[in-house]
Amino acid sequence: MSSESAPPSASAPASRSGPGRVLVAVYAVFALAATARAAVQILTRFDEAPLAYLLSALAGLVYLVAAVGIARTGRTSHRVAMVSCAVELAGVLVVGSLSVFDPAAFPDDTVWSRYGSGYLFIPLVLPVLGLLWLRRVGRLDRAAQRTA
Amino acid sequence: MVDGLTTTIEIASLALAVWCLVSTVRDQPMVVPHLVAIAVLELLLIGQAVVSTVLMVGGERPAETITFVGYLATVVLIPPACAVWGFMERSRWGPAVIAFACLILPVMMVRLEQIWDPSVL
Repeated sequence: MSSESAPPSASAPASRSGPGRVLVAVYAVFALAATARAAVQILTRFDEAPLAYLLSALAGLVYLVAAVGIARTGRTSHRVAMVSCAVELAGVLVVGSLSVFDPAAFPDDTVWSRYGSGYLFIPLVLPVLGLLWLRRVGRLDRAAQRTA
Repeated sequence: MVDGLTTTIEIASLALAVWCLVSTVRDQPMVVPHLVAIAVLELLLIGQAVVSTVLMVGGERPAETITFVGYLATVVLIPPACAVWGFMERSRWGPAVIAFACLILPVMMVRLEQIWDPSVL
């Protein structure tokens, strides 16, 4: 494996290049998975577990916002992406804990149930990776501005 | 859904994932052989989609038809999407995206199989 990969060009540190591209791809897939799942559940059997289905829809929306936020350049987009990553992390921890300690509240699964175990725990890892990546990009950004 | 075809797709997809991970580790961008492999995978998926559609028209319906068709359409769109991604990102992270997509594909094939025939769970 090569040593530390070259930092993005100092003039335009784009959060979507390099590893960011992988993050955006993963976020896009999760946005699609959560939204599509929620759409089918809400349309076909909303009465069974309204809370779980609405949560799935919310999760899908948050993933979508994060994907777009990381893909776009600019400080505002990154701030929006950071907030959605934080919301995801809080969501997976709160919903995960609730689904473990009070399973009756969630008769049907969401992406965040049992800390995302149905999705290989990716929902738990993803927001952490997102936050780390955004912090790194933010640092490069500020360093570029100081030298400019 | 034809079982043999499903298994072939799963194995091909995993093989491509391993290859792309090797490319990522070796710091190589997406190259033409990657594209050829993606095209082969796509042809296999289109074959599966056509066969499933013919079977569905013939009256063999999965339990949740909407979900099944949704998954099938998504699965067919994955290889072209990751090829586009490979073109946009001319670095080692292009193959990394393809590898991720190729790891998702087998999972989605298993889900498709479960929806098609819940008894094989």
